[in-house]
Amino acid sequence: MARMNVAEIKAAVVAEIDRRGDEAVKLAKEILANPEGGFREHKTSRRVAEKFRELGIPFQDGIAITGLKGMLNAESSGPTVGVMGELDSLYVLGHPHADPTTSAAHACGHHAQIGSMVAAGIGLKAAGVLESLSGRVALMAAPAEEYVEIEYRNELRKKGKVEFLGGKPEFIRTGALDDVDIAMMTHTEPPLHGEGKKLAIGATNTGMVAKFVQFQGKAAHAGGHPHLGINALNAANIALMAIHAQRETFRDEDTVRVHPIITRGGASVNSVPADVRMETFVRAKTIDAYLAANRKIDRALRAGAMAVGGSVTITTLPGYIPLNQDRNLQGIYEANAVNLVGSEGVAHMGHRTGSTDMGDVCQIMPAIHPYVIAATGVGHGNDYLVADYELGVKTAGKAMALTVVDLLADGARKAKEVKKSFKAPMTKAEYLAFMRSLVREETFTE
Amino acid sequence: MHIDILKALAQAAIDRQRDWIINIAEEILRTPETGFNEIRTSQVISRRLDEIGVRHTQNIAITGLKGVVRGGNSGPTVAVIGEMDSVRVLGHPHSDPVTGAAHACGHNCQPAVMLGAAVGLMAPEVLRELSGAIALMGVPAEEFIDVEQRLALYRQGRLGFMSGKQEMIRLGAFDDVDMALLVHTSASPDDTRFTVGGTSNGHVVKYVKYIGKASHAGVAPHLGVNALQAAMVGLHAVNTQRETFRDDDVVRLHGILTTAGVSTNSTPADVRYEGRVRGATVEAIADAGAKVDRCLKAGALALGAKVEIVTIPGYLPMLSNDPLATVFAENAGRLVGKSRLAWLSSDAVRGGGSTDMGDLSHIMPVIHPYSSGFAGNGHGDDYVVQDYEQAVITPAKVVAMTLIDLLSENAAKAREVVSRTRPRMTRPQYIALQQGRLKEEYYVGQ
Repeated sequence: MARMNVAEIKAAVVAEIDRRGDEAVKLAKEILANPEGGFREHKTSRRVAEKFRELGIPFQDGIAITGLKGMLNAESSGPTVGVMGELDSLYVLGHPHADPTTSAAHACGHHAQIGSMVAAGIGLKAAGVLESLSGRVALMAAPAEEYVEIEYRNELRKKGKVEFLGGKPEFIRTGALDDVDIAMMTHTEPPLHGEGKKLAIGATNTGMVAKFVQFQGKAAHAGGHPHLGINALNAANIALMAIHAQRETFRDEDTVRVHPIITRGGASVNSVPADVRMETFVRAKTIDAYLAANRKIDRALRAGAMAVGGSVTITTLPGYIPLNQDRNLQGIYEANAVNLVGSEGVAHMGHRTGSTDMGDVCQIMPAIHPYVIAATGVGHGNDYLVADYELGVKTAGKAMALTVVDLLADGARKAKEVKKSFKAPMTKAEYLAFMRSLVREETFTE
Repeated sequence: MHIDILKALAQAAIDRQRDWIINIAEEILRTPETGFNEIRTSQVISRRLDEIGVRHTQNIAITGLKGVVRGGNSGPTVAVIGEMDSVRVLGHPHSDPVTGAAHACGHNCQPAVMLGAAVGLMAPEVLRELSGAIALMGVPAEEFIDVEQRLALYRQGRLGFMSGKQEMIRLGAFDDVDMALLVHTSASPDDTRFTVGGTSNGHVVKYVKYIGKASHAGVAPHLGVNALQAAMVGLHAVNTQRETFRDDDVVRLHGILTTAGVSTNSTPADVRYEGRVRGATVEAIADAGAKVDRCLKAGALALGAKVEIVTIPGYLPMLSNDPLATVFAENAGRLVGKSRLAWLSSDAVRGGGSTDMGDLSHIMPVIHPYSSGFAGNGHGDDYVVQDYEQAVITPAKVVAMTLIDLLSENAAKAREVVSRTRPRMTRPQYIALQQGRLKEEYYVGQ
């Protein structure tokens, strides 16, 4: 078949997604019905693998435990563009699609991401498209974007199954992104301020470190001999209060967020709690800001243990890096988004205070993380649902596929430009060294 | 002369001077002064001593007085003590509008009891029958308050100890005294007129100063170190320790913030707390004190502040002298009826309060009985005299009769009290013990 021009390629891509996009929607809904937490997405991973097989996409699986990477145009020597989706769910009690046993639930819409990734793949596999592109497309399903179950994942870390507790950092570490030059992924989002918005670009996100905290006290009969015990729950309680006492010292522009949970609060009500565990993130807009806040949190945690005469073991683990999307890549995406949903349908987002490991990817390559306004409810809440699969899967898939077309058409001129003008904040080696420098496990008895 | 006749003569003398005696309590009630500031109170007592012809020394331990009345023959010396100081209670009906000082502990009655007893004992027929001496001692500063000012007096060298009896012991004012007593007022919930025996809590006093860093609290809170937050975390932590105190130890932790910031729009950088650690035994106080210190330091650690903790030797638990108490109780029973006497066992902590009579009780036989005659809540704004007869006149008579028992018949009973009592320590040992309890600590939270 003769090489098509860009307009022809794009038309073919869109037509193919219109024709076969329901397959991607179906996959998304299957994943919705089978939610699994991070690094546990075995069923989800198998489903994606089946889909790759059906579509004739060669792939690797078992990357970072459950991740997959399919490759289109594998023989091409041009740049590689990664289109990503996330496999994992959250845990949200009472979500209508929650797993009754594990309470895992897709309350963040990741199932739609796999849908939009596959939709993009379907579009790019339309007849004649890949032959007209000068580069490869990696369809990557990454595990464990939600940085939860810190204690469980820390055990995986100690057993050597992972080194970092997020899926994309593990993709980077294991080399799955070594042959990828540019990356993108679309996240679902409930309606923004301003009506009629369908695709949103430009957000920044906080970065963070994750902490697993164990207060050690001394058990004793809580009624009979409380004076012989050391109350680790009280230590945690003091530490929480001390953490709150720091909040006034956080600058607005740093958007610091510290939000601990207690994962173990004691074993029996009539025994002085001797083993109390907490997990928290320390987030902020910049690396310096979250490291500074983290020092204050450590002080507060130590104070809790000190006050009751107990000890505390603080495990600090590298989390995610603040998201900074590549402007040039975003420009290409925006043009396609406008073509698809009209300029009034494209929103420009500001700073957001969640975190994503796409931030990590953005450190080492040009990447974007646009949002598709296809959900309703509160993110991570029990009412968060993907309401518009046409938009959330198909349109989102089209926008990414068309961006890939722009990047790789015409001898991959635009991909090369984007790559060339990108100033990587860190090399992969620097990134890994930074992440490793954050790991700390210390016990304080003072 | 028969001892009962002596007692009748003393009572008659007291009755004759009834108004003069009650007037002392009323006069002092109107001029409440806190410890080591009892200038007018001391003048009142001095004038009254002059009126009954008792030569006396003034300005012992700043405001204290001591006059010695000798009997017909030589023998042991029994001290009758009148505490001179008031507490501070806002809103007390007799509080000084400027200082807030108020006799909400009924000390105003004590010098009246002391002088009333002297009136009885100085009836010529009585005095010449006594073998020994009566030391009339107006003692300052039983309430351990105004810690910062007292610490300043200590640091200026004007005080060696920061309570009245402690300081008078140190200065040797009790060196020629063989035993001592005072009668404290109380509000009785029933028909009880006198309570003897029992013990009191001991304590240490904490003077605590958190040092932070001032900054504009609205514009640049991140540049400040909030000493008030440090204190709040510290005090919250102190509260969590309460479950670790054994009921038997009657631990009481309480205090006041005396400086908590200077302007609401400046980060508090100098916050001061005066606290008390009470307990039934020296060991319980030490245990609770160590926990308090740990918690206060944790407050500093949490906020990255500094804290200065001065531990000031407080009071020792009261050791009520049984032989002496027996003599007092017999006389009290004769006046009010035995059924109106309450006798507490030697390990019964009365309330949870403390007195420096406890200190004196470690070096000589001491009793600290309570008379009724007041209504309301001690140290509350409603603690007022109800019945001067019961609060002043009857106690004066019981004290006079007790001393007649002790010092008549060649002071056989007083000598028996002395011979049956083995004080816990000598005066030098006491001074060394208390000086050793003074500790200054400076902790830098980081």
